[in-house]
Amino acid sequence: MASDRIFGLVFGLVALAYIASPTQIQTSFLTDPIGPKAFPIGVGIIAAICSIYMVFRPDPETTWPALRTFASLGIAVVVLVAYALALVPLGFLIPTAIAAGLLSYQISPRLGPAVASGIGLSILLFVVFKFGLGLGLVALPRGLFG
Amino acid sequence: MELFANLALGFSIAFSPTTLMLAIIGCFLGTIIGALPGLGPSNGVAILIPLTFTLGLDATSALVLMSAVYYGAMYGGRISSILLNIPGDEPALMTTLDGYPMAKAGRAGDALVLSGVASFVGAFLATIGLMLLAPLLARVAFLFGPAENFALFLLAFCALAGMAGKNQAKGVLAACIGLGIAMIGVDNNSGLPRLTGGNLHLFDGIDFLVAIVGLFAVAEVFFFIESHGRNTSIGVRLEKVTIPIRDIWSTRWTMLRSSGVGFVAGILPGAGASLGSFVAYMSEKSIAGPKGKFGTGAAKGVAAPEAGNNAAAGGALVPMLTLGVPGSGTTAVLLALLVTLNITPGPTLFTERPEVVWGLIASLLIANFVLLLMNVPLVKVFVRVLQVPAWVLLPGVTMISFVGIFSLSGSYFDLLLMVAFGALGYVLRKLDIPTVPVILGILLGGNMEDALRRAMVLSDGDWTFLFSSPIAIGLWTAAVLGFVLPIFLRPLLKKPPAPET
Amino acid sequence: MKRFLQMVGAGAVLTLSVTGPVTAAECIAPANPGGGWDFTCRQIGKIMFDIGAVDKPVQVTNMAGAGGGLAFNHVVAERADDAELIVAASSATATRLAQNAYAGRTADEVRFVGAIGADPGVIVVAADSEFQSLGDLVDAIKADPSAVAFAGGSAVGGFDHLKPLMVLQRAGFTDITKVKYIGVDGGADAITQTVGGFTQAMSGDMSEIVGFLKSGDVRALAVLTEERVPGFEDIPTAQEQGFDVVAVNWRGLYVPKDVSDDVFNQWADRLQQVADSDAWKETMAANGLAPFTKVGDDFQGFVDGAVAEVRQLSQDIGVLN
Repeated sequence: MASDRIFGLVFGLVALAYIASPTQIQTSFLTDPIGPKAFPIGVGIIAAICSIYMVFRPDPETTWPALRTFASLGIAVVVLVAYALALVPLGFLIPTAIAAGLLSYQISPRLGPAVASGIGLSILLFVVFKFGLGLGLVALPRGLFG
Repeated sequence: MELFANLALGFSIAFSPTTLMLAIIGCFLGTIIGALPGLGPSNGVAILIPLTFTLGLDATSALVLMSAVYYGAMYGGRISSILLNIPGDEPALMTTLDGYPMAKAGRAGDALVLSGVASFVGAFLATIGLMLLAPLLARVAFLFGPAENFALFLLAFCALAGMAGKNQAKGVLAACIGLGIAMIGVDNNSGLPRLTGGNLHLFDGIDFLVAIVGLFAVAEVFFFIESHGRNTSIGVRLEKVTIPIRDIWSTRWTMLRSSGVGFVAGILPGAGASLGSFVAYMSEKSIAGPKGKFGTGAAKGVAAPEAGNNAAAGGALVPMLTLGVPGSGTTAVLLALLVTLNITPGPTLFTERPEVVWGLIASLLIANFVLLLMNVPLVKVFVRVLQVPAWVLLPGVTMISFVGIFSLSGSYFDLLLMVAFGALGYVLRKLDIPTVPVILGILLGGNMEDALRRAMVLSDGDWTFLFSSPIAIGLWTAAVLGFVLPIFLRPLLKKPPAPET
Repeated sequence: MKRFLQMVGAGAVLTLSVTGPVTAAECIAPANPGGGWDFTCRQIGKIMFDIGAVDKPVQVTNMAGAGGGLAFNHVVAERADDAELIVAASSATATRLAQNAYAGRTADEVRFVGAIGADPGVIVVAADSEFQSLGDLVDAIKADPSAVAFAGGSAVGGFDHLKPLMVLQRAGFTDITKVKYIGVDGGADAITQTVGGFTQAMSGDMSEIVGFLKSGDVRALAVLTEERVPGFEDIPTAQEQGFDVVAVNWRGLYVPKDVSDDVFNQWADRLQQVADSDAWKETMAANGLAPFTKVGDDFQGFVDGAVAEVRQLSQDIGVLN
């Protein structure tokens, strides 16, 4: 109940923002009969109506995980974002080993297997992608080998 | 018989120990590429193009290798859909709907074999269609203007309505999310950027692969963390892999119909394999009705999209070869390959370079048989994936997804977007909002808007132009009769007879 | 096997840098595989290797985004001194720079090496069209602008759109907002729309129409070059018909700004070798490209001129304010 209402409200607000943003598009005088604004605004309006429907006719409450699990999920998101940012400057091997290890630990909290799967996956995937499929992955930070 | 003479010419070119070897290598690489999330047929083929030059392959051998990779990737996409609920590429999206439930019920092997056979049927019939009808079918493209294209995409969206599940509003909301995302980027009809916030990375819009991998693969990781690996197909005890003859036989008409639907969708420029599998699935669902139990692991629900998308892959070669119009991302890459080999596809290709066309057709047939033979024994290898413990498999899938998406543009921006889509996917699934319409909205939304606005440019804003041709009227009728009316009729039909007093 | 593995790596999209002295040159195609820029990188790269101008195969990297803007930005911001990097460019690059579509980046932030071939602009109609000359078409638009719609492979405001607008402007037709144009996905798609009768004319490049000319599906009303194109002598130029418009889509390369003059000259020399090779001449003939070789220092001046011209034109017709 409550989560449908809350998220209905959230989606509704996003939809309103979405409707507002195309109105900022400057149209040059070279334009077609429909123009660039109509479609996004229409989509936004339909989305807003559906969101309102969610607020007033919510489905039965879904089951959310415990607070501790939320913490794990939060950590996972942070790990993935950090991994995305680290991949270019630090090369493939080190960030992959760390990220895969941390994710593994979030799924099954045992230190040994997590470390093993992190390091193992990092090396295995590097070999597969670099030599099997020929993607030009950079192994280590660029600075190390000049 | 000119046809047999042509085909003999094709096989005389394509059938040699070397090319056979290349076909096998290509099929294997293609299957792997297709199965890896984020690496689809189009970037798979693009990655392997340099291989053809550096191996010093001649034009025919290069074509054999690449067409094997192309068909192989189309086959391979289904594997991760079925085993992990993560589509290996966008045409395999619909296969998750029934393939994954089937795997969860312990029938992963059956689902893989059945979908493999369906893929074969679709691809085989499409190759035959290409062979017999290509020059004729090329003319079909001339019948599809903006109004007809709009009606076609509208048909797809009406079919979406049947997809929504329990709560219609949530289904529509999901489609709107997808459509909203599709609007991001430079607008073709005015040349102005929309909803980009001035960010250059968003000017070409958001790649649907980023959305698919995020909504499915990354979201799946979050669910695993939440459930600590329970409540999935991983760890399910597997029966011995047998050939599910009964399922194959019971879906024979489904496969044939879906092949036809997919082939036609493939021929239409701009529609492509995803639309083929989608329309095939939805029309089979419509035909079967609620008794078909689509969405719960129905055999027909596995066979239809796979026959559809593989037939569409074959169909997409028709406009590519005869007009030089690539019907999908992958055929665009194949087109690039042909051009680099100094072969210019177009209306004169069939008469000027018969050896290329028939060599290609022969190698497609060969690749198709190789794939069928290879897939049955390989199924045993693939289902073993499910016995890999979740704490190794899931980080592995995540890292593969990152590499696949990274290979699209080489920027961290797409990776961050992908993580954001992962979080969105988690919330949506928690709220019971379906994610498949989101992807379809992204895939089709831009095309639909473009088609409508082009139609209005041509007609000076006259809406009746949308119904001005028999094809357009036919598509509108199909949309209304096939997908919109049933929604209103179903409650009426289902109503129990009034109790007599 | 080792050679095999090394070769597989060529062209891989992920290659950000390869270390050590065995560096292979990299060509960025700022678009997805299959387009003109991709063609430029793959053909020029292949020929450079085949004729021995470079000793390793040139890796092709596709970096699609913002109509080439993402790649341009990448080169300026992150690769400004990379001596082993070349990037495919064409008239579309100049057009976008002129229309300020690369987020404020300007043409002098890279060094244009040269162009070695040009795709002549063409205006074509379906074989059964009532229009026999460019004059017929222009007269029809003057009489009723809504009677003729153009299809082209670039978005509104792009090069294919500008071509008919330039012709009409020279013909003294000033109400150019009335001219109907739809931008579709590539030249071949634009032709199918025209052959199918949905649009009355198509604006594109010679390479896009060669197959359809041979098959007799379309007729070219005019080619937008100074001289008739070799191999297509029966197509009159727009100038002959009294419309002083020249629009060619050149194919060429740029390199990062901070490379040394030696490196710049080396690339210019390699490009010249490609231009002089038989393989390139064959490629040009097969794809309807006209000879158009401008390599080295004077090419930058040509690009600057082109940018200024398109900017003026875009302002005149209102695409740019």
